[in-house]
Amino acid sequence: MHNPHPGLPELDYVKPASLEEASRFLVEHAGEARPFLGGTDCIVRIRDGAWTAKYMVDVKGLEGMKDLSFDPQKGLTIGAAVPMNKVAADPAVQQHYPGLVEACHWVASYQLRSRATIVGNICNASPAGDTIGASILYGGVLRVFGPQGFREVPLDGFFKGPGKTTLQPGDIAASISFPLSHPQHACRYLKLGRNKLGDLAIVGVTVMAVPARTPSGYHFGIVLASVAPVPLRAAAAEAILESKEIDEAVIAEAAQAAMDGCKPINDTRGGAAYRKQMVRNLTRNGLMDVWTKVRK
Amino acid sequence: MAIAQASTSSVVGKSVKRIDVQEKVTGAAQYTDDIAFGNALHHCRVKRSPHPHALIKKINYDKALLIPGVKLVVTGEDFPEYVGLYLQDRNIFARDRVRFVGEGVAAVVASTEEIAEKALDAIDVEYELLQPVLDPEFGASKEAPIIHPDLEKYEHPNFIFPVNGTNMANHFKIRKGDTEAAWPQCAAIVEHTFRIPQVQHVPIEPHVAIAKAEENGQVTLWASTQSPFAQRALLAKSLHIPESDFRVIAPLIGGGFGCKAGVTMEAIPVAAALKLKGVPIKLLLTREEEFYTNFVRQGLVIKLKVGCDKDGNLLAMENTMYWDGGAYTEYGVNVTRAGGYSSTGPYDIPNMRTDSICVYTNHPVGGAYRGFGMAELHTGVGQIMDMLADKIGMDRTEFHLRNCVRGGDVLATGMVIHEVGLPECIDKVARALKLGEKEAPSAPNKLRGKGIALAWKAPAMPPNAGSSALVKMNADGTVNVSVGGQELGQGTFTAMAQIAAESLGVPYEAVKVLGPIDTRYSPYEWQTVASRLTWSMGNAVRNAALDAKKKILDIVAEAWNEKPEDLDIKDGYVISYKTEESIEIKDFVVYGLPKADDQGWLGGPIVGAGSFMPTYVTGLDAETGQGERAVVHYTTGAQGLDIEIDKDTGRITVLYAASAFDVGKAINPDMVRQQMEGGFVQGLSSAMFEECQLVGGEMRNPSFVDYRIATAIDVPEKIDTFIVETAQDDGPFGARGIGEHPLVPVIAALANAIYDATGVRITNPPFSAEKIYMALLEAGVVN
Repeated sequence: MHNPHPGLPELDYVKPASLEEASRFLVEHAGEARPFLGGTDCIVRIRDGAWTAKYMVDVKGLEGMKDLSFDPQKGLTIGAAVPMNKVAADPAVQQHYPGLVEACHWVASYQLRSRATIVGNICNASPAGDTIGASILYGGVLRVFGPQGFREVPLDGFFKGPGKTTLQPGDIAASISFPLSHPQHACRYLKLGRNKLGDLAIVGVTVMAVPARTPSGYHFGIVLASVAPVPLRAAAAEAILESKEIDEAVIAEAAQAAMDGCKPINDTRGGAAYRKQMVRNLTRNGLMDVWTKVRK
Repeated sequence: MAIAQASTSSVVGKSVKRIDVQEKVTGAAQYTDDIAFGNALHHCRVKRSPHPHALIKKINYDKALLIPGVKLVVTGEDFPEYVGLYLQDRNIFARDRVRFVGEGVAAVVASTEEIAEKALDAIDVEYELLQPVLDPEFGASKEAPIIHPDLEKYEHPNFIFPVNGTNMANHFKIRKGDTEAAWPQCAAIVEHTFRIPQVQHVPIEPHVAIAKAEENGQVTLWASTQSPFAQRALLAKSLHIPESDFRVIAPLIGGGFGCKAGVTMEAIPVAAALKLKGVPIKLLLTREEEFYTNFVRQGLVIKLKVGCDKDGNLLAMENTMYWDGGAYTEYGVNVTRAGGYSSTGPYDIPNMRTDSICVYTNHPVGGAYRGFGMAELHTGVGQIMDMLADKIGMDRTEFHLRNCVRGGDVLATGMVIHEVGLPECIDKVARALKLGEKEAPSAPNKLRGKGIALAWKAPAMPPNAGSSALVKMNADGTVNVSVGGQELGQGTFTAMAQIAAESLGVPYEAVKVLGPIDTRYSPYEWQTVASRLTWSMGNAVRNAALDAKKKILDIVAEAWNEKPEDLDIKDGYVISYKTEESIEIKDFVVYGLPKADDQGWLGGPIVGAGSFMPTYVTGLDAETGQGERAVVHYTTGAQGLDIEIDKDTGRITVLYAASAFDVGKAINPDMVRQQMEGGFVQGLSSAMFEECQLVGGEMRNPSFVDYRIATAIDVPEKIDTFIVETAQDDGPFGARGIGEHPLVPVIAALANAIYDATGVRITNPPFSAEKIYMALLEAGVVN
């Protein structure tokens, strides 16, 4: 029987004064405490009983968490507590990381995005996370504060399963940084939900093309959402696209490789067979789009 | 040359501003959950069955009572009586067995909602599992376990036909003409089975009820409800409370669509309150509970066979419907009756055989849902008519026009139908859509198509469902109209004010129709359902206003020594056509008129009373479904869509939609259009997205995460609505209802458009992108 509970279970709200204090608290209450940012996943999951946290550790107000900065030499840093609406509205982000802006626009609703954060979306580690693909393809690196202080955690290898990451108790992702993007890159996020907006992804495909010294003349990146326990890099498809001169047939071949390389499941949102087909079609459409753009 | 028209002050037919617009758009309007009860308020939570079908062996709640803050635990032991609108098959709590996942077995009352919720875990219920019935066709078979062994003992009105010893709670039959003899004469026959899943009403305001019982025997229920009077009647009977002591207060409601009709969860706090006097007890359903513990729209398996001659004239139809009534069919039995007597759809078919069977299953309880069976029925009928038109090779619009009902037709029940403007509705929609004209899609990977479907529906209710109204005059010339029908967003208070103003002869702005409905002070109304208020309550309001008018004119006639027939009320003045004298009504409608020379007074406070009840609906034969007049009347209409389907995803984009309905007379044309648009959107939502995913009796998607409904972006930018007016002889100013009808044809119209676009017939909603894509893939339309 699905949850008929009216509200949140009893839990303590903790607001530490520093990252050190927050980390210490999280270590001391490992397994029963969770850091939270916008709360758009936390509140829902705790009410659903999916999480049994006794403590919600509010890390929003900690140093640097709400900062968004762009450096024309180094790139972009987004504090963990910066809401998606702020990211998407930032002119520098719009100019240099358009794929991230597009991905933000596909998350839930405008209202929710005034609280939801990109770092939260990443750390929540849903295979359907809309901003994860762009974060990976733009080379995002998390800056994580743990019991041993700060460390950098690239997103490659970060995801371990639905809701699971390499983060350990006491770790707090404080920000995410992206290197400067290539001025001629193109990035798209194609998402298929049941409604046109506001749904979780049945399938989501993030594709990027960057001019490069490869046989094809480009690096391509493809990340698939909702078709594996973790955000799935379509490596075989990427390899095809770098090794051959690009035309529609090669794009179709790569899209087919993306489809063949994923093993989605059946769930209430969609069937596995449909998901595979959609991986192929959306990957193909996305690739055609970015290829057309970078070719100009 | 234009002819100068005499100016009239008529307010009926004008799109006046809604009476409740200010309070609603500013958020000031008070809903049930807004009412504060102070510290005395206690909260109720319900222990629910996790099993679809099981015997209750033992309930132990001793531990729950020990939890601080817990005041009371009640179970089915405490309330042995049945409750139900048509077939009284339901207890307030399950007694000997549970019949669906989510059924209440006990309730806890505690000082906070949290404590009440926590105490549920301290209640132990021992079950013995039984085989569940999860399919209506199986449920109707001899092999199925019996869900209600006491069916034969249940009280029901004489128009419901349970089949004792089975799971069939109602078997409605029509035998008209001779279908067997007709088949050989058919040039084309189509047979198909359609399946329509359960959907939920999804009111934005969930069910909420607060009950309080006083030591002196008075019981008050505040509830978000469409049916304060029906709730009073049914609960009073079940709980042995005199109706005069039982007060139901019904504030504004945030969406009902049928799920807040009859009695459902409201019974629980009322029952608990009787055991804990002096304490207001509140039960507010969670969204999850809203989805699977209260009413859903019944599922339907509909088997249709229909044939026509070589010219496309319909000759015969066989319609067998297995309704998935769910665990209790107290309300749902009448949905299946309505599905039965309207089972031809709005078509003239000389030979008809119908079996509309309401089957108990171990699924959520089926109840009233906007359309009351018609959307489900029309999903089949509306598609098979297109299929037959294609088979006989006739233009689809031409086929509908040839076969649709017209005034004077003898319906399947033997009733002769009044004049209807259905052909005009079809024509308007077909023209607006440019039906039959193939238009180019917007991109090479899109398929474009158009579809149309017809609809009809009669108010489904007991033959003698009544309305009443009071018109009370004030000394400042304003008028208060009291009604018992509920304002649930449809605008009924506004329409009633218009009818009262027009009938009485006062400006619209002078009339106030206000809630909350309160059974202690408001006049009786059966229920706010069946698209019946404009018509039935409208008649009562008109009668009340005419009664007040007569009283007013009688006073003035006496004062002026004139005949009442020579007097009238215009814009708040009594005028004499004979002498051209006039007097403002506010001068005397409360304090009366002085006689000449201070010789006493005439009149007194004016209160007009009016009621209405149809007295002309007759019974139908149990074996043939034949009778003089099955229903009061039908509202008919047509609807069409122009759509595109993305070949890469299967996703539908609705480019345009058109609706035309014959409402008899539009009291407020803008509100009629809003009903047409809103009904279309809700129907589109059920057509594209909605389905209670029931697995083993359990709903897998009881939240907005996975039960998707249409949002603004899923709806076409342009929806045209056409009002057709063929006056209804028994309606106020010729009006008939429009609340439900625009939802009825949407699924079939969309299915027909999908077929037109793709050449693939996908019959069973919801028409999700996945379902469409996989069907196109299988058919080779995409690869």
